[in-house]
Amino acid sequence: MKIVKKVQAGTMQSSDLMVFLEPAEILTVTIESTVLKQFGELIRSKVDQVLALHGIEAGEVRITDRGALDYAIEARLETAILRATEG
Amino acid sequence: MHMVTSLLSTDDLLQARALVEASGLHFEPPYDDLVGIFQAGRLVAVGARQGRVLKMLVVAPAHQGGTLLDEVVTELVGRGFQAGVGSFFVFTSPAQATSFEALNFSLLVSSGKTALLEYGDGLRRYLARHQRQVVPGVNGAVVANCNPFTLGHRYLVERAASSVDHLYLFIVREERSLFPFDARFRMASEGTCDLKNVTLLDTSSYAISSITFPTYFLKNGDPGGAIQMELDLLLFATRIAPHFHIKKRFIGSEPLCRTTADYNAAMHGILPPQGIEVQEIERKSAIGSAISASRVRELLAHGQLEGIAELVPVSTLDFLLSSEGIKIWDKGGVK
Repeated sequence: MKIVKKVQAGTMQSSDLMVFLEPAEILTVTIESTVLKQFGELIRSKVDQVLALHGIEAGEVRITDRGALDYAIEARLETAILRATEG
Repeated sequence: MHMVTSLLSTDDLLQARALVEASGLHFEPPYDDLVGIFQAGRLVAVGARQGRVLKMLVVAPAHQGGTLLDEVVTELVGRGFQAGVGSFFVFTSPAQATSFEALNFSLLVSSGKTALLEYGDGLRRYLARHQRQVVPGVNGAVVANCNPFTLGHRYLVERAASSVDHLYLFIVREERSLFPFDARFRMASEGTCDLKNVTLLDTSSYAISSITFPTYFLKNGDPGGAIQMELDLLLFATRIAPHFHIKKRFIGSEPLCRTTADYNAAMHGILPPQGIEVQEIERKSAIGSAISASRVRELLAHGQLEGIAELVPVSTLDFLLSSEGIKIWDKGGVK
């Protein structure tokens, strides 16, 4: 699927995350997190997995996380993807 | 989860003003969004966004410690993002900075009573975007508006460039001037293209912008400007200059404009302790007085084109007399 518009999902509350998606030529993923040192790689691999599952190959993906568990990451990112790809 | 709503009615606004003022802040219109959270008919949290700046963020004392601030900021950031804003700023006291850092804001600069934080990683993205322009050596910087680019700018840039390995000419990004950024950048670029060791950059939101230094654009000598100048200069010294290996900042002496003169004075106080030398270069004169862009604008406003050729390089003159240039300064036809 293709990111065709600018969207946001999630909240800034503790144990949650904000996801921002924008159309772009290439795929870039940036992750900020209050627990980046401990869990940065786990967050990244979860994000990559969800992006791959939905066939997202281009776009600017920005995530700011406050210690969300992986199912929350999956749900928020998936919501954002569905919003960003609908015509 | 609470419901965050827009505050629109007269009663909403009265409650918002009361809550903001009770916290010791000022209720400061204008804003693009003003939102809040009600409990039992009482407003318990409020916040506003004006462009890229979040302000008037207040939670009633009895409701602090929960998630209300997070919810208000979420709403403002979500709406701002939809309105096209990528990075958000908040000014707060250094003591409160940590509560914003917990929301993934990062501290840009802190000085005395004020801290400036950013959400959205804009500074890092700005620096990354200009990574290719980073040149090793002992480099210098000139920050200028170039509204329009004059022989005075040319003289300053030439002198500065001859005393460093590489000179960065930062053109003020903000659109608050007669000439739009694109035109100012182009005039500066054409007026310096023969100088091999000069690179043009835009200042983005991080130097002399309406974020870091709003009073620069107001020109009224506002005393609140002193704190902003300090934040603006510290941000430059600690975050931007190291990235571009900038060790010297060059300024033109300022006999004409009070705000710029104050800014120059603040620079002498703030930059040297941060390891950046400040070098003031005497302004170039024409027909007995210093060349300044404001004089050029004055001549344009009076349609006195003859005098302008002595104040600007040929490249700027060509632009001013082009159909695109005339459209900018000859608002509403002949004066």
